[in-house]
Amino acid sequence: MRAVVVGAGFAGSLVAKVLGDNGFTVLVLEAGTEVNADAVTRFRTATAKTPLRPYRTTAAAPSSDYLINTGPFDYPSPYLRINGGTGTAWTGITPRMLPEDFHTGDLGRGRSWPITYAELEPHYRAAEWAIGIAADADEQRQHLPVPDDYRYPMHALPRTFLDHAVASVVDGQRIGGRVLRVTGTPQARNGVPVAGYEPAGHRCAGFASCVPICPENAKYTPHKTQSTWPANVELRTRCVVNRVHADEFGRVTKVSYQRYQDDTSARHTEHVAEADVVVLAAHAIENAKLLLMSGLANSSDQVGRNLMDHPVLLTWALMPQAIGPFRGPGSTTGIEAFRGGPERAVRAPFRIEIGNWGWGWSAGSPDSDTAEFVAAGLRGRALREAVAERVSRQFTLQFEIEQEADPRNRVTLAAERDALGNPRPSLHYGLSDYVKDGLSAAKRTSDRLFELLNADDHTSYKPDDERYFEHEGEPLRYWGAGHSGGTHVMGTSPRTSVVDQWQRCWDHPNLYAVGCGSMPSLGTSNPSITMAALALRTAHHLVT
Amino acid sequence: MDAFVELSAELTGFSVEELRSTGLVEPYRALADGAPDEEIIQLWYTGVWRGVIPDERAYAEGLAWKAVGVAPPGTRPPGFGSWEQRPRPRR
Repeated sequence: MRAVVVGAGFAGSLVAKVLGDNGFTVLVLEAGTEVNADAVTRFRTATAKTPLRPYRTTAAAPSSDYLINTGPFDYPSPYLRINGGTGTAWTGITPRMLPEDFHTGDLGRGRSWPITYAELEPHYRAAEWAIGIAADADEQRQHLPVPDDYRYPMHALPRTFLDHAVASVVDGQRIGGRVLRVTGTPQARNGVPVAGYEPAGHRCAGFASCVPICPENAKYTPHKTQSTWPANVELRTRCVVNRVHADEFGRVTKVSYQRYQDDTSARHTEHVAEADVVVLAAHAIENAKLLLMSGLANSSDQVGRNLMDHPVLLTWALMPQAIGPFRGPGSTTGIEAFRGGPERAVRAPFRIEIGNWGWGWSAGSPDSDTAEFVAAGLRGRALREAVAERVSRQFTLQFEIEQEADPRNRVTLAAERDALGNPRPSLHYGLSDYVKDGLSAAKRTSDRLFELLNADDHTSYKPDDERYFEHEGEPLRYWGAGHSGGTHVMGTSPRTSVVDQWQRCWDHPNLYAVGCGSMPSLGTSNPSITMAALALRTAHHLVT
Repeated sequence: MDAFVELSAELTGFSVEELRSTGLVEPYRALADGAPDEEIIQLWYTGVWRGVIPDERAYAEGLAWKAVGVAPPGTRPPGFGSWEQRPRPRR
């Protein structure tokens, strides 16, 4: 069997591995280049240390900065077109979805999955071992069904000093009837392995730069999976697939792609690859773009629709004591109490990450603190003391708000073209009252948590901030989590969904669209581990 | 007597010896000698000179991080599990 996999990111690399191990001849076509060798240097010398900043760019295959926003809200999340995809820059946090997240449609909110948590659960375990996750099963079992005999491949990472400080105050307290408990977050970075597991790469040394780059190679990236590909998997980078071809019966026969020569020009050659099966794994937005460009898989009119993400609310404060931020991973624990329950029928639920990197993301610390104190006239020892006192107590809460599948949030093809002459994706994106009510509820929960912690709240959202808005008179703001999903939604019927439970396009028996784009709901969890579980489930379906 | 480094010490609250240990006195003198105080402080604290970080060392030796007692992200990792410990008290 000849398979073409479009995209060498998270899902594509896993699928290619399983297909290759089972005798398929696999060609992986990646639009981006190899990761540049100077990425760490670029990170260090970037004034704005944003997720895409360390990585080389190409004129022919631009990353998310080529999106065109046309909706009431700007789509806030970046993605990366490079070998390894956005999984090169990701944060490496891997909580599973909750069982109830799989049937949010029953609440009248968004859509339900065609499979249950129980059906996906064995594939979660497989994905956690394929990627290398550090977590404690007993701790996860407090809020999730995890089989009794299951062990994650690595023990949970040590918590931060901040986590201990927060837990010592809030554990056992209640907010809105919910009992709070600071819970370890599964991590895709190397810790202490259990017997029988051999981690790839070094142990996490605490560089505190996981997004966008781990200099230690302790964080999982798809390159680790690629290093285990058998010889019958071939990777070709700089190859932008711009059409998938189907015959009159709907069977996919080949893909067309443009292979470009250098980073700065659109000079390219045109190629065709024939295939018995094609797997699109190019990112939720790019998969939708390619299906729309090919005129395939859209009998339901759902291709590109239901674009979702996790709108993020950041709140930031000072602990009463120094807690030592900017040491270790970005977040090692969270509070899971607000992820489910009856409230989600009326407002979006959320997951709380306890953020260990000061006010780096929320306010640009410590540069912003320095600028503030210098502007206030502080010099010398007074300046040094002020920066030390401020930054050493900083922490951020990161609320990931569920966004329901809404067909009005969609990817279409813009009239504008990129350098290769392909349409740029046009995004019409908005936040519903359900999401806005969730953001408001998150803010109220933050207020209460800061009170409990006796923390000095410095959160402010101002009209000239990016992505500022008001909801029922309340100032709010949202950030992007990088969790694009929903654009080739999975379902039980070809009339209302794009792919079936195997991520196979209903309209084409040998065309698969994998990744977060298949997810009918994202729940409140970072979606990569769910994407990985789905990818492995699909791959095993393909080889049996 | 080195006027630039003396002024830098007075503005930043770091001793001449601490500033010299960064290895950046000479490149910073070339950039910032005679510049307004605010720009000299920003350069020493954040490594940013007029919107640009001139090289990796400027970032890695940023005094804002030294004031807090942590390494800038992506430079000198504190070691596996060290983040669980109480931060060292500042001098």
